[in-house]
Order: sequence, then structure tokens, then C-alpha cells
Amino acid sequence: MLFFSFFKTLTNQTVTIELKNDIRIRGTLKSVDQYLNIKLDDVDVLDLDKYPHLSSVKNMFIRGSVVRYVMLPRSEVDIGLLEDATRREAANQAGKAR
Amino acid sequence: MSFFGFNTTLPRDRAPPIESRGIFDTPDPFAEVARARAEGFQGGDDDDVIDFEDTYDGLGDQLDDDQDAFNDDTFGGGVDPSPVGKDFDFFGRTAQVADVIGEEQIRYSLQQPGAPAASATATQPAADAALPGAAAQKPKRTGYEKYQDPGYIPDLQAKSSVWGMSKKPEPQPQPQPHLQLQQQLQQQLTPQMVSQAKKMLSLEEVEAQLRRQGPGSIPTQLPLPLPHSMPELAQPLQRAQMPPLPEGFAQLPPEIIQAQLAKGVPPAQLLHQPPMVPEPYPLPAHAPNLPMHLLQNANLPPQHMMSPQRQAMPPAAQRPQQQQPPPPQAPRGSATQLPVITNSQQLMHLTEEQRVAYLMEDAKRAKRNHKIFLLSKGNGLMTPQDKNFITRIQLQQLVAAAGNVADSDSEAVLAEDFYYQVYSQIRGAPRQHPHQPLGHFAQTYLLQTGNRLGGHGSRRQFQSADNHMQRMQQQVQRAVEAAKQKPKNKQLIIEGSLGKISFSNAKTPKPMLNIKRPESSEGAKTMKKPHTDLSVSDRKSVLTNLESVYNTLMEMEDMERTMPPPPDENDPEAIQKHMEWRQKIRSLNQKLWRELKVMEPIVPNTNTPHPFIAFLSYPKGKKAIPRIFRHIDQEQRVTILTMIVVHLDSLDVVRRAQPVPGETQPSLAVREAIDLFSQAVMPSLLGYVNEAPFNIIIGLLGLVIAQTQVHMISKTRIGLGILTMLLSRAEIVKEAGQATERDWQQWVEKFNVLFDTLEPTFADIFPSSINAGDDMYVWQFLAAVGIGASPEQQQRLVIAVKDRVMETVTYSKTLPADMASQRLGNVNLFMRAIGLDVELLG
Repeated sequence: MLFFSFFKTLTNQTVTIELKNDIRIRGTLKSVDQYLNIKLDDVDVLDLDKYPHLSSVKNMFIRGSVVRYVMLPRSEVDIGLLEDATRREAANQAGKAR
Repeated sequence: MSFFGFNTTLPRDRAPPIESRGIFDTPDPFAEVARARAEGFQGGDDDDVIDFEDTYDGLGDQLDDDQDAFNDDTFGGGVDPSPVGKDFDFFGRTAQVADVIGEEQIRYSLQQPGAPAASATATQPAADAALPGAAAQKPKRTGYEKYQDPGYIPDLQAKSSVWGMSKKPEPQPQPQPHLQLQQQLQQQLTPQMVSQAKKMLSLEEVEAQLRRQGPGSIPTQLPLPLPHSMPELAQPLQRAQMPPLPEGFAQLPPEIIQAQLAKGVPPAQLLHQPPMVPEPYPLPAHAPNLPMHLLQNANLPPQHMMSPQRQAMPPAAQRPQQQQPPPPQAPRGSATQLPVITNSQQLMHLTEEQRVAYLMEDAKRAKRNHKIFLLSKGNGLMTPQDKNFITRIQLQQLVAAAGNVADSDSEAVLAEDFYYQVYSQIRGAPRQHPHQPLGHFAQTYLLQTGNRLGGHGSRRQFQSADNHMQRMQQQVQRAVEAAKQKPKNKQLIIEGSLGKISFSNAKTPKPMLNIKRPESSEGAKTMKKPHTDLSVSDRKSVLTNLESVYNTLMEMEDMERTMPPPPDENDPEAIQKHMEWRQKIRSLNQKLWRELKVMEPIVPNTNTPHPFIAFLSYPKGKKAIPRIFRHIDQEQRVTILTMIVVHLDSLDVVRRAQPVPGETQPSLAVREAIDLFSQAVMPSLLGYVNEAPFNIIIGLLGLVIAQTQVHMISKTRIGLGILTMLLSRAEIVKEAGQATERDWQQWVEKFNVLFDTLEPTFADIFPSSINAGDDMYVWQFLAAVGIGASPEQQQRLVIAVKDRVMETVTYSKTLPADMASQRLGNVNLFMRAIGLDVELLG
């Protein structure tokens, strides 16, 4: 749930999402769910020349499994907190595995 | 336009209504004849001759022979330009307008409210109409009926027979002439039908007849070929089993045929029977009157007595041989008269297609009404309170069924959703409701219920609604508690298997195959290995230490959150709790202290850094210091400070920050480390030093002089920073007058040593180049030295750094105003400390 928890804090931030088919989309993260499906608003497709069919798309729902990267605004990430959250997650997982 | 043989006369065109007309008022052309005759009888006219004027409906007068504008509509001539030949498809043409016929019929019956009722009663089996399953027998009209029966004869007898059975005796006198006509017509073809219709027997009568004949008489019929006893019964069967002849569906309830087919009765076998046109077989008097099932039962071997089900459905093996019709009464229990009626109804269908259409409508309506009736049976059975009760039960089950109930408490929320929860607390963005879906759902649900009930006006209901709300809430709470108590069964471990099967829920969408770790044998060994390692400062063990430090820190922070309120002296339980908590904190603190490895023995003259210094060389370690300082006491803090001071020259930020000839500044990584150290560690140290007693400062300074290479330290930012820290603290203590004379003497002694050591290198402590960037820390250090220095030392200091001061002042003149003032300000920091000002330098 770490990533879900993490992405929830990024709602209404501008992120760039790179899909596994190399399309990169920049938009406002509207919401995310536990499958890391992503809803984007005010979408801009980078390399629009390559993907003209996306030129009229203004918002989209991206299935979590097709996302390769999510590029985040650095200022919106609390690294220390994220490290701690990661530790907790690891501890939780270890606890579950045992 | 009476083209299709039914009466389309509008009410206004119709002849004045006759008293009894409604009963047999059908679009049947024979009905007109019959009526004419009846009228003839009623009129007292004994003459059998049909008077044309009596029967003529006057439609011919309405016809306009010149007006053939609609002929195309009627005959479809406009559509098909080909000339009409000998093979003109009359029926096909008719079938094309079959829908119109149906509509016309409905319209007609709507216009004459009396007619539909009569025809409905006449055609619909009376017993069926009363039954709930009446709608099931929906005649399927295909339009092929007329082709199917070459001996197509309108059987008005059936209607009269129905009337004869009905409770209403009113129309009884009427059928008499009618019957005569019927007999005349039918005797030529199907005398047994007439006799059957004439002698309509009730069930009791049939049974009595059977009994009279004795048990032996009927079984004797067994070897007889069936057609003898059941000519017309076989006919519908034969049709029923032939899918291309859908007429059979109209006669037999469709479910029976479907059941037959489903049971695998091959239609081909049933087709063996030659098509039977009703023939004037000399039948036993009782035979046509027997309800089908009785005949069938009679023909069954004695085993049919075993069970009623068998009775209803003969064994599949026997049925094809016997060529038995499927028992039509199978779906309904009580329709003993059904076969007779079905039989006559069959003829009805054949004769009056329009009625069938109407019947379909009627059956549909009846079906719908029946459905409504069935549904409305439960109306008003439950009070709102009952409904609430049910809702509560459902809610409870819902709560119990949801596996992630425990998540609703804050601990679990924090465990699952730590980042988001803390982040929103820190950044103040409680944008989303932090409640878990379940709690949220329950709340919404309760709210809704409250609104719904609150909508009612009366006070009592208000109260009861409130009461229900409360009880529901309590119920949910209790359910949640119970679910918490219940051990969570999130995984299934099959004995002997390697993994576990995790049940997924919304929180853990992807079930993982968790490999069970053997706790006793392998795992423990691998866990112990790092501890047995000789070196405690190698990268891996340092990082392991770091992580365990962080884990302990988080535990301590969690403990802090759960700190019980300050205990009331009168409450031993609270005191007990508090004590336990303190005990836990203390043990955690000890654990943390051990993991920090501050107290590891200092090994002089080794290449291996002290574990704590190694700890500090990682960014994570540096970042941990402020958090550690919050959880340790003063003694531990001074120990850490001492540790750092003692190892000042082996600190990575000092050691690696030594100026390299040719390089204006250290590498980027080092600079980042220095920045991090001065941001994370220095404030903590400064925080302690500012409160530290003077003797500790003196001791620390002594350690710096004795244990470290001061020259090396003084060339780095961190080193100078720590020195500045100590010197300024001493100055503050002196200013505040807290220092005793003896301590001060001690301090001055140490200071002099430091000053003497540093004096030759004062010019070297600056960053190598004047434009290398920030040199404020140097001026701060010089200022701190200057304040504590004697006038003679100050003079020496000025001489040592004079060049740099002049250089900076000159350089600042080439800089933009704000940067220049900043640089000059830095210099002034030092100048003012020794009672001078850059302004004096002009």
C-alpha cells in the first residue's frame, strides 16, 4: 500500500507518466487507486508528433499495469518520510511473511 | 371490407343489437347464419329458409366499386409488379398482413366491450381462467393453422359446450338452434366430436364410468393399437413433436413439449404415427370423453401406481413405444377437464385465428395481473421497524464478512497508509476522508437511514428512528469489535506446502505467494552472521546498524505517540501504565544506544574508523542525528559530541574536505555531505553545546587540541564550525559571568594553545581562491577567535589575515552591490569582533 499511499499525496500535482509503449503523458494527477490506476486531467502528450491520435485527448484513465514511470515533482516528495514509510512497509511485509 | 371473413362492421353501421347477440357474436361467417336462424326461431318463424335480408349486413352497399384505390394495399399489387399466375401465394399474402388482422381484431374487440368477454369465456377454458397458470398456456399463433387442417370446420359446438358447463345458465336457451346447426355440419365429418361435445362429463362421471366398467375392461385395451382409442389425441401429439409445425405449441403447453424434448425423446419416434385426420371410428362411448390422463393411466402397466410422479410422467422407455401423448396436466395439478377443453380449443384456434390473437392479448394481461397479484401478496407484511431490523442484520453480516475490519483503527491505518497519513498531517492537506471504506460506508449508510426515517412526521416515529439509529450504530460498533477479536485469517497454509495462499482484499490487491520462513534453523544463522563478523565498520554492517537504529527510532516515536497521560497520583492503574511505558521507553533507549555503537572502544592509530564515525559518514546516519538527539538524555548527547570531537579529523566531512592543490573546492559529493552535516548534525550539536556546562566546553577544546590535528581541522568548514561553536559558547559563558575564575584560567590556557597552533596557518584556513564562494564560516571563526583573544593576540590575528581582508574588500568592489555588501558584511563580522570596521579601511 506504500505506493498507493504515496501517490495519494500527489493528487492535483502535475506528473509525467511514461507508459510501457513509450508514450509520455503530462497531466494533473486526479486520483489513483490501489491498483495504481491513474486518472489524469489536462493531459499533454509529449512527442505529440509521434502520437497525433492523442492530440484531442484531454483527460484519461490509465491502467496501472501499463505505467512504466511516473515522474514526480521533487518538491512534493518528503524523502525522509518516504524512507520511513518504506521501512514500515518492509517491516509490515516481513511481519506478514513470518 | 370483410375480406378475411371477420366482421369489421363498426358499431354505428351495425344492425340494432339483439338481446342475446353478445354471446355468439363472432366474426365467424357461420355465426351470422346461426344468428339468422336463431332470430328466425325467436321471431316465431318456423321457416328454415334463410332470409337474405336477415343475414345481409349491408356491407355491399358501402362498397364503391369504382374506388379501387386501396386495392394495392389489400392485395399487395403495387409492390409486386409480376402478373398473378396460377401459383399465386394466397396464404403468403395473407400472412403478410396477419399483424394487421390481429390489430384489427383487437381494435374490434375494444370497440365492443361485450364481445371480448364473451369470446374470452367461450374460448378460454373456464377452469384455466381461474388458475394461476392460465397464462402459461399461451397460444402461439403462426398463421399456418389453416394449412394444417384440411378438414377445417368451424366448431361452434365447443363454445356451446363451454357454456353448458359454465355456471351461468343464462345463455342456455340460445344454443339450442345453434346446436342443431352444428350437428348438421359435423355429423358428416366427426361424429365422435359432436358426441363428445354433447355428452360432456364431469370428472366424477368419468370416474364412475371407469369404475362401472371394472378394472378388467380397460387393460384389455392395452394390446390394441392406440389409434383406436385415441385418434384425435394422437393428432395434436404428432403435431407437437414436429418443430416445423408450430401449431402444436398452441395446443399443448409449451413447457411440456420442451420437457419432452429435453428428456431426449426423439421426435422421429413420435413421428412414426401416421398423420391422423379424425375419422369416424366406432369408438367406445366413453373413449372420447375420457380425459387424457385417465386414458393414459389406463394404458400404463400396473407399475404406474407406485408414485404420482410416475403417473404423470411415464418412464421414457415406455413412452415412445406406446406413442403416448405427453400428459398435458403435468404442470398443473388439478385440471382434470383440461384435455377436453384443450381439444375443443384446438378447433377453436383453427377456426378463429382472430380470437387467438385476442386471446394472446388477454392472456398477457391476465399474466401481468397475476404477477402483480403474486407480488402484492407480501405488501405491508413488514413494518419499517422490521425492515430496520433486517437491515441491521445485513449490516452486521457485512461487517463480519469484511476481512479488513481491523484497519479501521488508527494504528492499522498508520501501518497501511503511513506516508499519506503523516504527509497530510505535515502538509495540512486532509483532502480525502481518512476513514477506511468500511467505516465510511457504514456511516453513510447510517446517515441515509436516518434521513429516510426522519422524513416521517410523527414524533413517535422520530423517536423510533433515532432509536434505530442508535441501535444500528451500536450494532456496527459491536460487530467491529467482534471482528477485531476474531483472528484474521488472511492466509491459508496447506500443510507440507512451501507457500501460503493469501486471500486478497481491497487492501492487498495482488495476492502474494509468501514463502514461509523457517524461523529456527536457517534464518537464525544468517541473521547472526553479521554480529559474529569481526569488523563492525564495514559497509554492510554499518548499514545494517543504521537500519536497526531507524527501526528503533520509529518504535520510539510510536511509543511517544501512545504515551499515556501524566498519571494521577490517586489512580494506581494509570501510574502503573505510565511506569510500564517509561520502562519500555528506557529499554528502547538502551537498544538505540547499543545500536549507535557510540560506546565501542576507541582503537587508536587504525585505518578502520570508529563504528559511530562510520555511521555518520552515511547521509542516512547524518539525518538520523536530530531524531536521535530527541530521544536521548544529556549524558548520551555529550558522549556523542565528545565522540565527534575526538574523531573530528577522521570525520568524512573533515577528512575528505581537505583542500586539494589545483582544486578550488571539494567534489560535489563531499560538498553535499558537508551541507547535509551542517544542516542535520551541527544544529543538534549546537543545541547541546549552547546548554553545556563550561567545563565540558573546556574539556572538548582540550580534546580537539590533544587528539586531533588542528591544522587539518581548521582547513575545513565543519572543523571550523565546531571550533567556532566551542569558542562562542565560552565567550557567552564569560559574558554571562557564569564561569568561575579557575575554569576561565583553564580555558584561556587551552585557547592560547589553540591560537598558537593556528597562528601560522590563519591565512590557509580560507578557501584557496577568493572567488571560491562562501567564506563566511571562516570569518565567523575568526570573529569567535578575535572576541576571545587578548589584545596582543588580536593584533597578531589582524596581521595574519590582513591580506585576505584587503583582498576581499578590493574584490567586493568588482561585485554587484548586494553580493559586495554580503562579502563586506562577512569581513565586518570579524572586524567588529576585534573593534574595527571595514569602513575604516576605506
